[in-house]
Amino acid sequence: MNIYIQGTGCVSPQETAQGGAFPENVLPWEGARLKASEPDYKQWIDVKLIRRMSRVIKMGVAAAQLSLQEAGIQQPDAIITGTAYGCLDDTGVFLSKMINQQEEMLTPTAFIQSTHNTVAGQIALMLGCHGYNNTFVHKGFSFESALLDALMILKEGRSKSILTGAMDELTNHSFNILSRFDLYKKESVTPASLLHSQTHGTVAGEGAACFVLGTEKGTNTKAKLTGVTTLYKPAGKAEIAADIAAFLAAHNCSEDEVSLVISGRNGDASGDEWYEHMENNALAGKPVACFKQLCGEYPTAASFGMWLGAKVIAEQRVAEAALFRGTTPTEIKKVLIYNHYKQTHHSLILLTAC
Amino acid sequence: MENLMAALKAQIVEQLNLQEVKPEEIGDDQPLFKDGLGLDSIDALEIIVLLQQQYGIRIANPEQGPEIFYSVRTIAEFITAHQTSK
Repeated sequence: MNIYIQGTGCVSPQETAQGGAFPENVLPWEGARLKASEPDYKQWIDVKLIRRMSRVIKMGVAAAQLSLQEAGIQQPDAIITGTAYGCLDDTGVFLSKMINQQEEMLTPTAFIQSTHNTVAGQIALMLGCHGYNNTFVHKGFSFESALLDALMILKEGRSKSILTGAMDELTNHSFNILSRFDLYKKESVTPASLLHSQTHGTVAGEGAACFVLGTEKGTNTKAKLTGVTTLYKPAGKAEIAADIAAFLAAHNCSEDEVSLVISGRNGDASGDEWYEHMENNALAGKPVACFKQLCGEYPTAASFGMWLGAKVIAEQRVAEAALFRGTTPTEIKKVLIYNHYKQTHHSLILLTAC
Repeated sequence: MENLMAALKAQIVEQLNLQEVKPEEIGDDQPLFKDGLGLDSIDALEIIVLLQQQYGIRIANPEQGPEIFYSVRTIAEFITAHQTSK
């Protein structure tokens, strides 16, 4: 059974929320933190609802609405999201009030909006969607778990169209905490220098990307989601190479058929060795595109990678800002996305043009 | 009473994050819920907390809620009555 990507939507540090083609220009950034370029949310969300929504909820709802618009679907059969951090800002507000007010006189809004499934719930409320609604919170596998769930439900024939995606926000507080874990670069980097920096650390990012997946080809459908798999703490780079070969074989795809590799390089010297090994061995000679110079690193960044892959197939071109190695193939049929989060959570996603 | 109503309007706008509303745009007798300002049950909870935090008032009888929270004036009258009876 084919699973089609009927629509996509993305809110990211780039101007992706305008819909349509991949943005021509990269929004400049400097330092170790990329903030989402947020659209005017009033085009999708009633002002009475916006006032209670934190950034991650607004980003998620906007990405969902964009993907539904592109798919030409008003209401999916199910909504499945992935998020590692959940509604971090509201969680911070609620917990701060608990401490500052000695657990007395706590207001309901921040508490209601602080749960991890708030985004999926809010989308369902806005759409009046009473179908299956689930949120996966599995750190670097949150997005992939949502995708796998959607794939399985569609293949079981229980739904015809599913809205799925992932979203994570970065707050001042979480950025400071994550910085103390020594995750980010100390030196100044830019979009052009990040992937060639060869030093420790990366840049923090955030965003939301949603997809309408369905069993039927829609009017705007350009790509199929052929497969997705996750690999937790592989023993070494050789194991990943074997897993890539097995994954491609399981989906009747030879290495020669892969037109483009999208890799999750993020400029961290140690983490990028995994991608380097893949680019030099399992998929040697393939053109490579990257995306974390555009969206930053976060646990569900693979969703931006998949959004980029779907755009590449739809437009049959790789934006200059994304192309890392090689030249754009004349015809882009199959795109393999390889990403890992902190070298422990590895995932593979295969997209096919249709 | 006028000063109290002006303060209440500002506090309601801030507490409920009414981004599109200025305090002076809220009428003294304008209904706050449903067709008036359009507030809902979550807002009612926020206003209850606001009264506790800002004025030290607890609503003892929840059935009084619709009457007390009808408008800014009814809330102000409730606060005044409560403060006078102290």
